[in-house]
Amino acid sequence: MIIVETSTGIEHRVKISLVDSVDYKALSKERYFFDWKEEQNFEVYKLCIVGSSEILGLISLERIPSEWRVHIRLLTVSFEMQGKKKIYDNIAGNLIAHSAKIAVADYAELACVSLRPKTEIAKHYIDKYNMISKGLTLSIEVPEILNLINQFDHD
Amino acid sequence: MTSKKNIKIIKDSEFGLDSRYKSKKEYQTEAAALMEARLKRMKNLSKDQIIRAKLMQLKLNMEEFIKQPIYDNRNYFSEFLESYVDTIYSKRSLFAKDIDITPTKLSQVINNHREPRDEFILRLMIHSEKVYENICDFHKKTWYQVYFHEKICDTMSSQEEWRPKIERHVKFSESIEK
Repeated sequence: MIIVETSTGIEHRVKISLVDSVDYKALSKERYFFDWKEEQNFEVYKLCIVGSSEILGLISLERIPSEWRVHIRLLTVSFEMQGKKKIYDNIAGNLIAHSAKIAVADYAELACVSLRPKTEIAKHYIDKYNMISKGLTLSIEVPEILNLINQFDHD
Repeated sequence: MTSKKNIKIIKDSEFGLDSRYKSKKEYQTEAAALMEARLKRMKNLSKDQIIRAKLMQLKLNMEEFIKQPIYDNRNYFSEFLESYVDTIYSKRSLFAKDIDITPTKLSQVINNHREPRDEFILRLMIHSEKVYENICDFHKKTWYQVYFHEKICDTMSSQEEWRPKIERHVKFSESIEK
């Protein structure tokens, strides 16, 4: 998986791995929006450039096997990676694609990734990640979920 | 035209997405509606879309397997091969014919009664290359990696069985200073 440096277009390989217990100390609310310690009972993944320990994005997931679904609980890029001044692009996309890989690895053609954003930002996820809405929940399933993985996964 | 308000929303939409359900009731209501909609969509999935999803699943599981040491009694290469063949073919003998081996040999490899020879893995590699061409990235080396990773894990985990017998054949005629 890669992210793109916005100013130069240079691509950097990234690694997505589970957050270690020691990482939580460095995950301030100012930089990562949430109190991530509250998520320690869930699967929390961090995104770093290969060879760097700086966390550029985080995602918390809940696997729901009875519904063949992986639900995104929390997602954020780090403070510096938002808006026009962001240094790298595709951080959230890679994290969502990582969730999609988990869902497809577990549930194949039944796989689903869901999230439940506030109404005013739902359009962003529908437009950018091809999600569809049902009630307050957005989801991505086969075949679109395979396209999302292919868009971001080039390891 | 994009309003200033919309620009702000788009700018911030990936910084701090809270997607947690607010209550159990909200989760249950949303989950039921989502499942109903999904079941309708699932009915419309084509055979080709299902095969693509299964092959993507197989590839992801193979990649996950070779990432870390696994010490158990499962036969991963055979299991992945079985899944690969059964996903694509209605009869295993058709796959055997396609890679020019006898159905008996294929059956023996799938059932772990025979080690796959180099030629078998090479043919499987070429077959997979073609099959995955329009599905997703699939490294040529994946089948080999699975095969050798399993061998390494098996060897390391069964040292108690083979080590006493093998150690008898290993001597150190030149001493090595510590």
